[in-house]
Formats: sequence, structure tokens, C-alpha cells
Amino acid sequence: MIQKKICLLGASSVGKTSLVKQFVEGIFNEKYLTTIGVKIDKKVVTLENNSLQFMLWDIEGNDRYNAFQERYLRGASAYIIVADQTRTTSLIEGLEIHSLARKVAKCPAILAINKSDLQPSWHWEDKGLEDYNDLFDLHFYTSAKTGANVDNMFIELAKLLQES
Amino acid sequence: MSKSTEAKQVESQQQLEQLRSLILGKNSHVVTDAIQKEARTIVGEVLSEALHDRQKKDGSVNKVLLPIVENAVEDSVAHNSDRLVNSLYPLMGSLVRKSVTAFLTDFMEKTNQLIDSSLTFKGLTWRIKAWQAGVKFSQYVASQTFVYRVEHVFLIHRETGLLLNSVNFNNTAKSDADLISSMLTAINDFVGDSFLDNEDGLKEQLETVTTDNFTLLIKPGPNALVVAAVTGKPPQKVSDKLQIILESIHSLYASELMQFNGDNEAFVTAENLLRDCLLAEQKTTEPKNNKTPWFAWLAVLFFIIILGFQTVKWWENQVLNDKLMTLDHESGVVINHIEVQDHNKVVLDILRDPDAISVSDWLQKNDLTIEQLSLTERLYHSLDLEILNTRAQRILLEYPEITMMWHSKILHLSGTLAVLKSAKLLSALTAAGFTLERNLIIEDIKPPFANEAITSKAIKAQIFKDLVGRISTIQLEFPVASADVTPSMQLTLQQLYQYFHQLNQLADQLDLNVGLVIIGCSDNSGSIAKNTLLSRQRGENTGDALNLLGLSKAQMYVTGLGQIDIMKVKNNARKVIFNVLYVSNDEKTNNEM
Repeated sequence: MIQKKICLLGASSVGKTSLVKQFVEGIFNEKYLTTIGVKIDKKVVTLENNSLQFMLWDIEGNDRYNAFQERYLRGASAYIIVADQTRTTSLIEGLEIHSLARKVAKCPAILAINKSDLQPSWHWEDKGLEDYNDLFDLHFYTSAKTGANVDNMFIELAKLLQES
Repeated sequence: MSKSTEAKQVESQQQLEQLRSLILGKNSHVVTDAIQKEARTIVGEVLSEALHDRQKKDGSVNKVLLPIVENAVEDSVAHNSDRLVNSLYPLMGSLVRKSVTAFLTDFMEKTNQLIDSSLTFKGLTWRIKAWQAGVKFSQYVASQTFVYRVEHVFLIHRETGLLLNSVNFNNTAKSDADLISSMLTAINDFVGDSFLDNEDGLKEQLETVTTDNFTLLIKPGPNALVVAAVTGKPPQKVSDKLQIILESIHSLYASELMQFNGDNEAFVTAENLLRDCLLAEQKTTEPKNNKTPWFAWLAVLFFIIILGFQTVKWWENQVLNDKLMTLDHESGVVINHIEVQDHNKVVLDILRDPDAISVSDWLQKNDLTIEQLSLTERLYHSLDLEILNTRAQRILLEYPEITMMWHSKILHLSGTLAVLKSAKLLSALTAAGFTLERNLIIEDIKPPFANEAITSKAIKAQIFKDLVGRISTIQLEFPVASADVTPSMQLTLQQLYQYFHQLNQLADQLDLNVGLVIIGCSDNSGSIAKNTLLSRQRGENTGDALNLLGLSKAQMYVTGLGQIDIMKVKNNARKVIFNVLYVSNDEKTNNEM
């Protein structure tokens, strides 16, 4: 079976772990537990002609106390930058991480705007995602809580990796 | 370097080229073509030897040929299975036999191991210890049986941390090898980036990780890691073996490792190499202590003796109990409870007729000796045939002129006896449990003298009056407000019936007619009307009871007097009294005698 290493990056508490939990186990937990270091899960994504096993590296969130570490990105087939649509700063932090990641990993990058079930910040609503189309290979509005667009995002990513 | 030296080198090279062109000329291809034509022959001549030498040198021929042969066999099975089957057909029988034999041997060994580990003391101890330590029993057994054992071997792609292949000692993968390999890589990356680079400028590497149950030996290579999970204390040779296998993998799968894109299909054939790392060393069993365990044997012997003694004792008690139970078969003896606590200690609770055999006599008769006999004996009146016979014999000792004979459980008495004596005998027999017509017939007892018949009328009249007097003295005493005839009253009524029966016989002989007057009385408590009713009821119940005994109702008259207002008796006059009314057959005179 073909395996792919996928990294989830982003600011703290944007919902990276929740996205993985929703995708792998189909559940959501309101309780917030910060990830330390990295947590790895796996799930097989079945496409029409093929199956891919995603090794999902859920990497600790970055903030002023915890700088982006490139070490876990080595050998990644793709990475997902996760942002929180209720916090505009999370997108800015995500873009910074993206620019740092680009220097060490020349692989497809995806933007996931999470918490789509909550009210977005005003600035976010006005601007939209159009400006970031060129920066990312794919972008999605997701909700780890409701599961909206989560499976779809990973399936689209699998298709993208299969084509490349 | 000086210019003159450089010039000399260039010159020597030119000279070498000239020499080549002189020997081979411009047509060097002629030589290579000639060699190519003979290449098959040349290589064919040394091929076997070359393969042998290389295999001997580093064993790499096997590793190279293995996947090729496997693929060839796979192709052959897929496309030319008939040919393969035909070739293998002669071998199939013996192969199947060998396989079955091997399976049975393996099965027996596993069964023996299972019995050893489950039913022996050692096995049970290990189970308890494994439970206390919170580890699986199989793991604990492995830790006790092996000095070390390589449980899992993982081949991991260094860059991505993805699992390329893995093997297990028991072929049962309990842990998730994919996640383990990724996490190990993550930890390794963390260690490498977190610590300062070493003196050679290389990043720090994890080489050993120790957990409660495992030691992880990590051998990093440029493109792949080999990791072994070992239980026990791994020796250096495990580490060396891992290093050799890692190098072999890098040499055999160099291009696959370089071009790895997540597809681990190419590394399926690496399983054989990884299996070479599944090393183990069994613990040398401690020499058994061959000393005879005297203490244990003595304990067992003691236990057997105690057990045997208790069994014999129990059996003896059981036999004694059975023997004592036969006492119950004796006439006039009923066993209520028996308990044999020991051969010399017996608790016995019985009912016994005074004419029945005594317990001590019975024990003597049966040759039984009981030192501590706790006997509870209560007397009762038995109606067993044997006891009745004993009583009759005892009574008849005073009447030697009477002979007795049992016929259908009825005692027939015959002989000559004076009338008065007859009445006395009948009275004694009645008290001993005999009842006329039921189990006693005395019709064959005749008066002794002929002249007695002549002179007996006066005597009979005297006996008649005596009987009338006896009947008149009989009283039944009832409880307050009760008219029921109790069992003790029944005994009295039976006596009364016997008297009246004799009276009837005498009345016939004396030309008299008799009737029994039954008079119910009551005390003065309660209303007069109720007392009248109660006294009447007492009389009627008594009449009914006599009727059941055989007395005709035509010969009785029942009346109730109500309460008896006589000062001294009125408080306790709850009685039925009797009187006999007799009249002569001569209706003209109709005098009372």
C-alpha cells in the first residue's frame, strides 16, 4: 500500500487535533488539550482506483512561546495549514508558518479554514479566500465539530497526491 | 606542484594512448567484438565458481537470487501451474505426510507446553506474577524462558518515517507498526534537532530506548533505519546483526530507497533479511535437585494414613449404625433417633413397650459392646402381635386350665373356668389390649361343673349386679364448654362396652332385658338453655362413640340434664354418667330386680 506523510500545521488552538480526530475516528470533543510535540494517526483513504494510507502528523501549534520547527516536515508528501475563522490572527500566523515551511518542503500545501460552524470575524468575511488561491494548492472551509468538509478535504488531497 | 611535473604526466598519458593505438589500432572494436562472441563461453565456464566464491565471501548471491526465484516461481504457478503440479506430483504424498507429521509433532509440543504452563505449579506462579506485574502471560513466559528475544523488527524509511516492512517473532502483530515507526522517527528527529551536533558535526541519534518490557535497538542508515524490539537483555551480537542487515538492505535496495514515494511494495522481499534478526537465546534450565524429598513424602504418607484411618472409622460407624437400626425391627421397640458419634459413643432415643426386649439384652444378644451409650427410653403400649402374645401368656399363667391358640391374629381361648374367674380373665385381657370379637374369642371357655349351671343363676345375678354397679361408676369428664369425646374417654368407653357386652350375655341367661341410660350433665357456668343443649350434646356424642364400638342404639337412651344445681358439684359437673335399666321378660310383673 502507498503511504503518505501529511503534516498539519497552524497556530495554537485552531483545531488541528480535532480535525484529525474527526477524520480518523469521526468524533469531536469540546475539551481542549494542547498537543505537545507531535501526535501521529493513520487512516486509509480509498479512491476509485487506488487506496492511500495517510500518516497524519498532528504537530503542536505555534505561538509566541513555541516557534515553528521544521524537523517534523521532513519527508512530508503534503501539509495542511489550519486557521481559525473566528480569529483573523490565526490566518496571519498560518501564512507565516506556510512561508517557513515552503523553504524546507516543496510539497503541496492546503489551507483549511476551520470552525466554519461558528460566526466568522468581520474582516475575514469581507476579504474571503481569493487572495490566497495562489499560495495554496487547495483550500477548504471545514468544521471539526460538525465534520463539514473534513472527509472531502482529505479525499481531495489524496486525489491531488495521486495525480502528482 | 611544479609545471615540469605536470608536463611529465601529460606526456606519459600521451605515450599510453600511442601504445594503445599501436596495439589495437583504430579497429579496437575488432577485439571487443571477438570477446563478445566468446563472452557466453567465457562467462559460462566460470559462472558457477564465481557464484560459489561470492556467496562464500559475503552471502549476497542468496539475497539477490531470492526475490528473482520467488518471482519466477510465482510466475510459474500463475501461468504454468500444470507443469509445476506434474513436476511436484511424485513429491506430494511424502510432502503431505511430512507436513501432517510436523503438524502433529508441533501440536503435541504446544499441548505439552500449554499443560506445563497451565497446570504445573510453576505455570500457576508465573500466571499470578504476570497478573501482578500487569503484563500478558505470554510476555512473562518469554521473559522467564529467554535471556533475550527479538520480538519485532521494523524497517523504516529515514526521511519520511514510513514503515517499509516489519516482522514479528510469533507472526502475530499486536502493535501498530506504522504508528510505531512514525513516532520513532519523530522522537529521533526531536533528539537530533534538540541536542547539539556531536564532534563530527553529525546530529545526535537515538540508539537505544528502554521501556518496561522492551529494549528498542535502533540502527540508523543513510536512507533507512532498522529497529528491533527486544525482551530481556540483548547481547552485542543482536546489534551487530542489525548493522549487517542494514548494510545489506542499503546495498540491495539502494535505488528503491532513494526513489521511495510511499509505496512499500518493493520492500516485501526484505522480509527474509529482517527475519534473520529475530534472534533469541533460551535460558539454561537450572539443574534439578535430585535429592529425595523425604519431608514431602512423609507428609504424603501421614496424610494417606490419616485418610485411611478416618475412612475405616467412618465405615465401622456405618456398620454399627446399620446393626443398631435392626433394633427397630424388634416388636415393641421404635427408634426415634440414632447417632453413632464414635464406635464407643452412641446416642439412642427409643419408644419401648415394657414387655419388649430391653436394649441391654438386645445388645448382648447381638454381641454388641458400646461403652458410652446415651439412652433415652420412653415406655408405650404396643399392640404388636408378639407383645400381645407375651402379655396373654403372662396373664394365662394364673389360669393353667385355659389353653390359648392364635388363629388369623385372633387369640382363641378354650378350657374350663368358673364364671367369676372368666370375668376376671376377660378383664385382665381387655386391659392388656385384647378386644372381644376383634382379636379375642372366649366362647370356648365353659363352666367347670354341671351343677354349677343349676346353681349359677344366683351367681350370675350377682355378677350381673356387679357389672351394673361398675357401669354406674363410670363417668366421662369433659372440658369446659366442650362436648367432644377425647381419646382417653374412648379407652373408658371401650371398657364400658366390654362390661355391657358381658351384661348382655348374662341378661340373656337371666331372662332380663337391659338398656343403657346415658346422661349428659353440665356445670352452672353459662345460660341454662345453653347448658341444657351442651349436656344433651355430650350425651349424644358419647352414645355415638359407643355405637361405633358396637353397642346398638336400640339398647341405649340418651338424655341431657342441663346444669346440676347441687351446691357441692355444680361447678364441676361437666360429665356424662351411665346407668343400666334392666327389666324382666315377664311383662306382667315387670319388677326391677
